[in-house]
Amino acid sequence: MNLLLLYLLLLKATATSFSGLTSLPVVRHDLVVRHRVLTDRQLNAAVVAGQTGPGPYGLYVVSVGYFVAGAPGAFCGYLAMVTPAFLILPMLRYLGARARHPGVRSAIQATTLAAAGLIVASAIPLARDALTSAAAAAIAIASFVVLIATRLDTLWVIAGSAAAGLVAGMFL
Amino acid sequence: MVRPPLRTLTALFARIPNLTFGGGDPTMAALERELVTRRGWLAPEQYGLAFGLARLTPGTNLLAFCAAAAWLLRGSVGAVLAVVAASAPAAIIVVALTYGYQVLKGNALAMGAIAGLLASAVGMMAAAAWHLVRPHLRRGEWLRALVLAGGSVALLLGVAMSPVAVLALAAAAGFFWRRSEEE
Repeated sequence: MNLLLLYLLLLKATATSFSGLTSLPVVRHDLVVRHRVLTDRQLNAAVVAGQTGPGPYGLYVVSVGYFVAGAPGAFCGYLAMVTPAFLILPMLRYLGARARHPGVRSAIQATTLAAAGLIVASAIPLARDALTSAAAAAIAIASFVVLIATRLDTLWVIAGSAAAGLVAGMFL
Repeated sequence: MVRPPLRTLTALFARIPNLTFGGGDPTMAALERELVTRRGWLAPEQYGLAFGLARLTPGTNLLAFCAAAAWLLRGSVGAVLAVVAASAPAAIIVVALTYGYQVLKGNALAMGAIAGLLASAVGMMAAAAWHLVRPHLRRGEWLRALVLAGGSVALLLGVAMSPVAVLALAAAAGFFWRRSEEE
């Protein structure tokens, strides 16, 4: 498949979605059903790879690009993933200039509080998936306590959790 | 607010997103801790603005958030460096995992470590939410904070409203329902 076309098809998918995996139906329609350059099995493997590694779930489009056209395809997928991110800058410039207005300031504060609610709401399904053992629950609680009670570098919390999970996997 | 050196900013955006598992939300939660709580580079309101607008931006919310947060600190160059730093290493890892997942799936040790990382992501998200709400839990403001944060959870989980609609509704509510000192 032509690399420019691959980029444009993946960009169409990422630019019309609002979170990681919501672009999946568009990717499947274009690459699996219409152009037949990707199989459902490959698409599933791409999603799993995107969810297994660090970073956003939207990274699966990089894996999709790799399946379709190797390393250059992965680069197309990468560009399609990062391009829409910069659309935020004109919005930020517009709102930033108006941030002193009391109503706008209050609206931004309200959005911050709503963001906290959305983070909690996103944590619930993740907790259902991830906290399937007493050890996992203990790691989650310990991470929470350390993060709110200390100023320890987040990297140590991440490393400690991986080590605790590894030990739990070995002995429990 | 402190204006961090580009190198330090890029290093932070290379470190946190490429080491946090569980998707964009836990990563934005980890970045809240680093950018707002630990280093004080961003005010909570700036974080909230970047988070809210990232939800309204098409594509990967986390990368839009990185672009916005870095732009607030170091302008366009910062935004580009942050997006590349936050995504390029993880993209390379994903390509490697595309081949390696089947091998990894059979490895109990690797799966144990990943389980620990996913569990810590849950704690990280809860802590980030707490950091954002806590400054508003004071006299004359706690009810507004609880209604807005709790209402968002209820609208998302109770009636399956989209996050974009929840944030827009919260912004509209906040515009009219102001803190007493804002009036």
